[in-house]
Amino acid sequence: MNPRRIWAVASKEWREIVRDRIYLVLAFLMPVMQMVVLGYGMSQDVENVAFAVVDEDHTPASRDYIQHFVVSRHFAFRGMLPGARAGEPLLADGRLRVMIVVPPHFEQRLRAGKTARVQTVLDGTFTTSARTVRSYLEAINEAANAATQAGYLARRDGLSLARAAVLLQPIRLEVRYLYNQEARSIWAVAPSLVMFILLLTVPLLMALSVVREKESGAIYNIYASTISRAEFLAGKLLPNLLIAAINAAVLWLMATRYFGAPFKGSLALFALASLLYILCIAALGLLVSLLVRTQQAAMIITLVMAVILAFHYSGMITPISSLDGASWLFAHLVPPMYYQDAVSGTFLKGVGLSVLWPDLAAFALMAAVTLALCYLAFRKRTRT
Amino acid sequence: MRRLAPGARVWLRQLLVMTVKELRQLVRDRALFIYTVYIFTANIVIAAGGAAGELHDVRTIVRDGDHSAASRQLEYLFQPPYFRLLGEVARPGEGLRMLDRGQAKVLLDIPDGFEQTLQEGQRAASVQLLVDTSQANTGYLASSYGVRIAAGMGQAWTERRLARAGAANEPLPRIADEIRVWSNPDLNETWFVTISELLTMMTVACILLPAAAMVREKERGTIEQLLVSPLSPFQVMLAKVVAMVLVMLAGTAVALFGIMQPLYHVPIKGSVALFFALTALYAFTNAGLGLAAATFARNSAQVGMLVLLMVMPIVTLSGTWTPLESMPAWLRDAMYVSPLRHFIDIAYSILLRGAGVRLLWDSILATAALGAALFALGLVRFRRQFA
Repeated sequence: MNPRRIWAVASKEWREIVRDRIYLVLAFLMPVMQMVVLGYGMSQDVENVAFAVVDEDHTPASRDYIQHFVVSRHFAFRGMLPGARAGEPLLADGRLRVMIVVPPHFEQRLRAGKTARVQTVLDGTFTTSARTVRSYLEAINEAANAATQAGYLARRDGLSLARAAVLLQPIRLEVRYLYNQEARSIWAVAPSLVMFILLLTVPLLMALSVVREKESGAIYNIYASTISRAEFLAGKLLPNLLIAAINAAVLWLMATRYFGAPFKGSLALFALASLLYILCIAALGLLVSLLVRTQQAAMIITLVMAVILAFHYSGMITPISSLDGASWLFAHLVPPMYYQDAVSGTFLKGVGLSVLWPDLAAFALMAAVTLALCYLAFRKRTRT
Repeated sequence: MRRLAPGARVWLRQLLVMTVKELRQLVRDRALFIYTVYIFTANIVIAAGGAAGELHDVRTIVRDGDHSAASRQLEYLFQPPYFRLLGEVARPGEGLRMLDRGQAKVLLDIPDGFEQTLQEGQRAASVQLLVDTSQANTGYLASSYGVRIAAGMGQAWTERRLARAGAANEPLPRIADEIRVWSNPDLNETWFVTISELLTMMTVACILLPAAAMVREKERGTIEQLLVSPLSPFQVMLAKVVAMVLVMLAGTAVALFGIMQPLYHVPIKGSVALFFALTALYAFTNAGLGLAAATFARNSAQVGMLVLLMVMPIVTLSGTWTPLESMPAWLRDAMYVSPLRHFIDIAYSILLRGAGVRLLWDSILATAALGAALFALGLVRFRRQFA
């Protein structure tokens, strides 16, 4: 490997990038825009769930019960309905997600110490949020239930309300949210987005830079030159790594300054992990570029790869621990999971090298393997 | 055909020939063809495999400072399917370190004197549950299951106490909320995931493929050949759209009847004909978007970036990955211009909720209007550039 020849390839590459204005602007603008859009979009908070109520009891007790849902920040009250029939088309159209029906004799039954039934219809189309909504519904119903029972018990046995509450609920589970004290989705999402957006842009730019030469035929100059395979690959990698590193820094700034995500760990550690991650995924992009012939194919493959890896195998959406055998293994063989670990470790948990070194080691290993594959896949003489 | 004017017949023949040419080009480009087949088959299977489903096996550790019968009872209630008990630690600090390393997600901390407080019954016996919320959603679900477990044990404890006091015969009032999940009663994750994956990838392909095909003609100069032929720019563009619509219809049929129904039992509650008709309309709208984008780019790399720039927000913000209700109002309103936002309404409503035209007319109208506008924009710019 001759550093001067690497430098020659790298500076030629850099000049090409700088001269293609649109490409240059997109290379730096795309990550920023994606951060803004996805930052707002990927938040998993379930709020403003549209619901309507059918009150067939019309008593203080039924109104009180309904009020529990109206005041919740998770639900948005859309009004009373005359009957369950009227709600069905609204659910079918997606205008309502939840309909609560309080049947007649609700208050009467509660006063008599009996069980009063309430029917709730929940739209299960979007399963993930439906599951969260169901747990909100259950929690609110439980709170209403506890209040009703405590009131009943206090009246019946002449106890204070607080005493009745302890009798009914002798164990209190105090939940404390670690790392993300307000369980705010954006705090968790913003660091993950650094992982996702780098994965979307770095391999793409990398792959395009090689395939572009293949398409235009400029690569024959390389084939015919004295530049060795390793020198060419290194020269191609360097300018793209520089762009990616700048983007990583910009994304970090946006996550912490714009979205206000906490950064508790060491910046140096984050930088090191990011550089290794960038090297890994740029090598992946390089590998793709050596295996395909057209820019479109390179684009499609890198994008599909990024989306699949980030959404299914990074732990950003589905925790790795709940993946099944083959998926679990696959997640451990690709870089996103390790970087996800590193960003959530440095952003939210504030852990240090003693915890994160296995991730860094994994990056180094993967980068070495992928680059070796690139070296083997790149041939100056096309196979006949 | 007899009754058509000769001009119209020629016009239709030209369109047909062009459409066949587009289809042939797609099939011959091996990478693109494999990709198209992949998104309607293997991709859906992969997505279904990655479906998260119910929260399960949350790794839990316990710090039992009480070592009593009651504390052990509570500890063993944290059981599969929701929780998996990893073991005990002696001090809370050790547990926190395991959370730091991601080895555990939840730490149950039972303080000294738990059983005694419970027996005295003067105040509630408190227990701490420390939850890793670096994934906000799973963290919330884990804590809500935890609260339910503690409430269940507390209730059993009270019932036994009341029984001993001889008051068991008097039941307490209770509000039983019977939650019926509608449209997907078992919250079957694969129904949602496979449909959303189909819609997502269809959107990507529908925008990208025509845009790429158009730019390639520009790059290679074959567009000049088309323009000196008797074809009008309208025909050139329409043929690309028609080809895309045909590919999407075929792909959707394969995905729906070949994979989603037989493998995952995804229901089709509404009309199949309506679903395919609207799929065609949706493909038309997206192809229009792709072609309009192609008029702004000079080469493949640029069009790729441009498409990516549009597809990302469309795919993520239209309401599959995150519910629209939770977004800020300005963003929700902005998404009215995303065709996918309307098609999500249409597709889920027909397939899972069994809705018909009477409920969906507004979404249909919006998709059609967007499609017409985008196609017109593409045509105007295309004419200005070449004709």
